[in-house]
Amino acid sequence: MKNLTNILFASALSVALISCDKSDPSANNVTLHFNNTFKDKTIVLGDANSTQASINTSAAGQTHQFSELKYVISNIRLVKTDGQEIPYNINDLDKGATVIDHSKASTLSYVLSNIPAADYKQLKFGLGVKPELNTLDEVRFPNFYNTAGKNDTKMMWEWGTGYRFTKIEGFYDTDKKKLSIHTGSTLDGKRENQATYVPGVDAYRDITLTLPEVVLVGKASTVIYVKADFDKLLSGTTNTITLRSGTGPDDNATPNIHTADGMVQFVDNLGGNGKSNQSGMFSITHVKN
Amino acid sequence: MKKSIGILTLSLIILTLACNRKEAEEELAIDNPELPLSIPKGFPPLNEAFYKNKPTKYGVELGEKLFHEKRLSGNNTISCASCHQQSKAFTDNQAQAIGIYNRVGLRNTPPIQNLAFIKHYNWDGNKRQLETQPLVPIITHEEMNSSIVEVMSKLKVEKDYQILFRKAFGDPEITPDRIYRSIAQYEYTLISANSKYDKVKRNEGIHFSDTELQGYQLFQAKCASCHSGELFTDQSFRNIGFPINPSTEEAGRGRVTGIREDYMRFRVPSLRNIAYTAPYGSFGQFKTLEEVLDYFDKGVLHANNLDPILTENGNRIPMTPKEKSDIISFLHTLSDETFITPR
Ligand code: HEC
Ligand code: HEC
Repeated sequence: MKNLTNILFASALSVALISCDKSDPSANNVTLHFNNTFKDKTIVLGDANSTQASINTSAAGQTHQFSELKYVISNIRLVKTDGQEIPYNINDLDKGATVIDHSKASTLSYVLSNIPAADYKQLKFGLGVKPELNTLDEVRFPNFYNTAGKNDTKMMWEWGTGYRFTKIEGFYDTDKKKLSIHTGSTLDGKRENQATYVPGVDAYRDITLTLPEVVLVGKASTVIYVKADFDKLLSGTTNTITLRSGTGPDDNATPNIHTADGMVQFVDNLGGNGKSNQSGMFSITHVKN
Repeated sequence: MKKSIGILTLSLIILTLACNRKEAEEELAIDNPELPLSIPKGFPPLNEAFYKNKPTKYGVELGEKLFHEKRLSGNNTISCASCHQQSKAFTDNQAQAIGIYNRVGLRNTPPIQNLAFIKHYNWDGNKRQLETQPLVPIITHEEMNSSIVEVMSKLKVEKDYQILFRKAFGDPEITPDRIYRSIAQYEYTLISANSKYDKVKRNEGIHFSDTELQGYQLFQAKCASCHSGELFTDQSFRNIGFPINPSTEEAGRGRVTGIREDYMRFRVPSLRNIAYTAPYGSFGQFKTLEEVLDYFDKGVLHANNLDPILTENGNRIPMTPKEKSDIISFLHTLSDETFITPR
């Protein structure tokens, strides 16, 4: 009898020891925190008459303010100091993509879990959804479909059966004309397959950001503070844009920008042109180790 | 001894059961033959997607049922056939389509006809395969306002559908792909080639009247450079200066390609069954064929990318009143009564 008690005791002890030994899983969490700003100030949303809303002035001298601000982040990768890239559920929109909605504080932080313990020097992600995954597949990715598509989010492009990558609503100039800028890809299929190829705009942009200091994963949970500076929307590295209202091909302040080459100008400002500029409006302010 | 008899009986029973089961399965094995389509002479080549999704007897039956299924919409009030009505060559006689809760869509409803021979679907050609099209109306806010998972959950509980999916695809599982494929198969079978024009062409002993014949000749001279071939479309995208849809969502082909030259270009529409499909234009700008022709005659809107055929003629297609009425008589010979009559 005594023996049995001993055995039981021993096993209980070892179980306890093993579980103690297992380190805190949050040590392998990396939180991406998004701060959406005009230059250095966090944006305050508001309607046309709001006295609180942040008002920004573009390089071309146009005042503008936002009432809605959303964008999709996906294809997230962390690069180790030795150069090895660690992909984070890059082919699973349910587990590896998110909609940043400035009006919902909870969406501004996105937690990457189970990141292998190592030192990291770079963060990479996509603004938007890469072409291979940019079809509305509710069966495959029900969670992302529902976050992106549900009534108040409206982050899908019904006619193109793909996702919207950025959705900005607001007002510009002193008479507060409506501004509505949606970006998203319109192309479909592959150029090699002429029978199914729909020529169009690829609005997905790959972002590469070097961390100001190495992020040490495995000891305690870490945070990377990403700044998204929407001042760049009109006054970007690639283009200086003047907004215009109307229904002509050059009138870019309304959703018809997604129809014209005008859309690409906004996309390049927000997400970089994919060539000389790989960061667009994004930068990293600091990290918390 | 008694024991072994028992075992023998038991194994016999099992054997019979097994046999019965096999018989039952054989009974269930379904003959779902491909449907032969008769391809009208002179029609353009089939869309390549057709060869990967050839219509079968039950695939088409299922597709037809789904096409008329109101449960494809969020509140079970709108089917594809609500907008695509057979009696109107699968259009709706609305200027702009009216969907769920009477919401008004962006564009005019095009006919569903001869689509197996079309390369680019919709006014702006943003879809290349019929199989990828049905999801658009299902999820569109102004059309059916639903989602494919919602649709599947509604269909799953229906015995009829379980049977039909099994007949069409071998097992009762309902998948998005099967829904899209069966609807496309049904659409592939909607071929219209039995108008007076076709009968004249086929030398079936029917002849054009004088005005129809004159209209036909005028049409060849003034319209057939774009409305060419047996479908009366060359399937190109052109800006012909029709009045512009005031919605900022509209940019024609430019909405898809993002190319400036494609701004307000639209796919040249087929003119088959045109007498059944009023109003006309991408958002129903014209109530009648007379209005369309008067507009061409008076002069179209100027645009930087206006089609050269129009700019070379002072932005118009001049026609006398007699010429217009002759052309319209000819256009009426493209009406196919058998096509708009339920089978
Ligand atoms: C609310 C009315 C409405 C409903 C419901 C609707 N459609 Fe349509 N359909 C339209 C309109 C409008 C267009 C033109 C869209 C465009 O050009 O952007 C269209 C275009 C099409 C086309 C392309 C035709 C061509 O000439 O290229 C097909 C095919 C089609 N619809 C099939 C369907 C199917 C299948 C359903 C049901 C799942 C459906 N439609 C439901 C209004 C409707
Ligand atoms: C330069 C090419 C071109 C020529 C020439 C042309 N069309 Fe068209 N037609 C089009 C295009 C493109 C559209 C669709 C335009 C739109 O909706 O903006 C169209 C639309 C139409 C429509 C409306 C169809 C519908 O389903 O709504 C009719 C009817 C029509 N054309 C008849 C004619 C007739 C008759 C002629 C000759 C007198 C003619 N067209 C000459 C290109 C042409």
